Amino acid sequence: MRSVLHSRGLSLALFLALLVVWEFIVRQAEISALVLPTPSAVGRALWSTLSSGYLWPHIEATLTEMLLGLALGGIAGLAMGVALAESALLDRVLKPYVIVSQVVPKLALAPLFVLWFGFGILPTVVMTALICFFPLMENTLTSLRQVDANRLQLFRMLGASRLQTLLRLKLPAGLPGILAGWRVALVLALVGAVVGEFIGASKGLGAVIIAAQGMMDTPLMFAALAAIAVIGLLCYQAMLVVERRLLRPYGEH
Amino acid sequence: MSVAQPFLDMQQVVYAYGGGRSIVDGITWPLATGDFHCLVGRSGCGKTTLLKLAAGLLAPQSGSIRQSDGTPVSPGPQLGYMFQAPTLLSWQRVIDNVLLPVSLQRRPMAADVARAQDLLAMLGLTDHARHYPRQLSGGQQSRVALARALILEPALLLLDEPFAALDAITRGELQDDLVRLCRLRGTTVLFVTHDISEAVYLGDRVGVMHEGRMLADIRVELPTPRTQSLRHGTTFNQYCSRIFETMTGAGQ
Repeated sequence: MRSVLHSRGLSLALFLALLVVWEFIVRQAEISALVLPTPSAVGRALWSTLSSGYLWPHIEATLTEMLLGLALGGIAGLAMGVALAESALLDRVLKPYVIVSQVVPKLALAPLFVLWFGFGILPTVVMTALICFFPLMENTLTSLRQVDANRLQLFRMLGASRLQTLLRLKLPAGLPGILAGWRVALVLALVGAVVGEFIGASKGLGAVIIAAQGMMDTPLMFAALAAIAVIGLLCYQAMLVVERRLLRPYGEH
Repeated sequence: MSVAQPFLDMQQVVYAYGGGRSIVDGITWPLATGDFHCLVGRSGCGKTTLLKLAAGLLAPQSGSIRQSDGTPVSPGPQLGYMFQAPTLLSWQRVIDNVLLPVSLQRRPMAADVARAQDLLAMLGLTDHARHYPRQLSGGQQSRVALARALILEPALLLLDEPFAALDAITRGELQDDLVRLCRLRGTTVLFVTHDISEAVYLGDRVGVMHEGRMLADIRVELPTPRTQSLRHGTTFNQYCSRIFETMTGAGQ
């Protein structure tokens, strides 16, 4: 516990040191705030947009898109992974389509989604869901296939049904891998949501970045980036907490 | 007086993997009710395959394996099975691992939990019921697997070299625990091992297998209950050398 606090402290100290160096270099080299604002200017922009209430609806929009996309895509990916792992026929029939759908860069589909779904949050949610689908499907499929043959034979010996084998053996045994898939999907979901907003949204931190670019308000752009980084960090940490709780019975993983 | 109906009757059983050489080649071996049967043979002689046939995990290509009521065997809770490795579910507590065969059939009731506690107590694991398998030693994990195999009080217990990975002293303790629990319930046992002295120590009968065939079915007339000191006696060693000679004699 003490060494954890110690390393956290070091992390924080490094962060502060980097900010100081950044501030110092920008001031010394007299770089224009249009190119690279000082951290203090970014901090002021962040504070004023937060306190004026300007940034909050955008944060909310990005969070909503990210979490909705993650939930929909993740659950669909999990279901598809289970289906492909359980049925060799489905695996052979559907796998080529799944792979083709994943090698097409989904960010390139964003303009099409805007055409189909309009300028609301829907196109971004759809794109984010598509991005989150793949890591969940892959990790679920791999995890369910890697179940120890002896344990499978044990369940056969005990007369377990297919559903029981799935729910009582395969999914619990694959849980570490499946949770790792959720963690990857979470990070991708934030990227997906922000990039989706670049293309077709009037709300959200991605839209703020585009608007700030148009107004040549670089400090605001950095403020939005900082907000994105904080969202990512907090969500990732929350995920780690959930993961640690769920995996406690599994021991050192 | 009629001869007692065997508990499990294997007649002319043949099995080959994927159409190759027969790994089990015409074995006839009736298992008597309540007896402890050991099946001994070198690695790859087909003894594990015969065990899987007896469990109904594999179906013989010819010949028959019937229970005393004439029906063919099928996997299910009426059989207890113990593997080479303990094969516990690492995410469940010891007590839940023991109760697994019950919980796959129905929701465990207080009587089931009490029975599991009793088994754990008999195996010296009372204090570990709430622990996870990784917190236990190898011998303790094997005991949990034994308790799980016995929780539904199966009439037939099948074991596949369950103690092979344990040290000699722990193995001896587990052998005694196994015999005690099986005698208590009159369980019929089929125990596969490559260790001749283990087979003689445990078995009422020892089947000697070589390249898919049964070379001998030897009745061990040693007093019961047996203790580990028996291993140093001459009768015990005569049995061992007789089985050893049967196995090596066939190799030439």
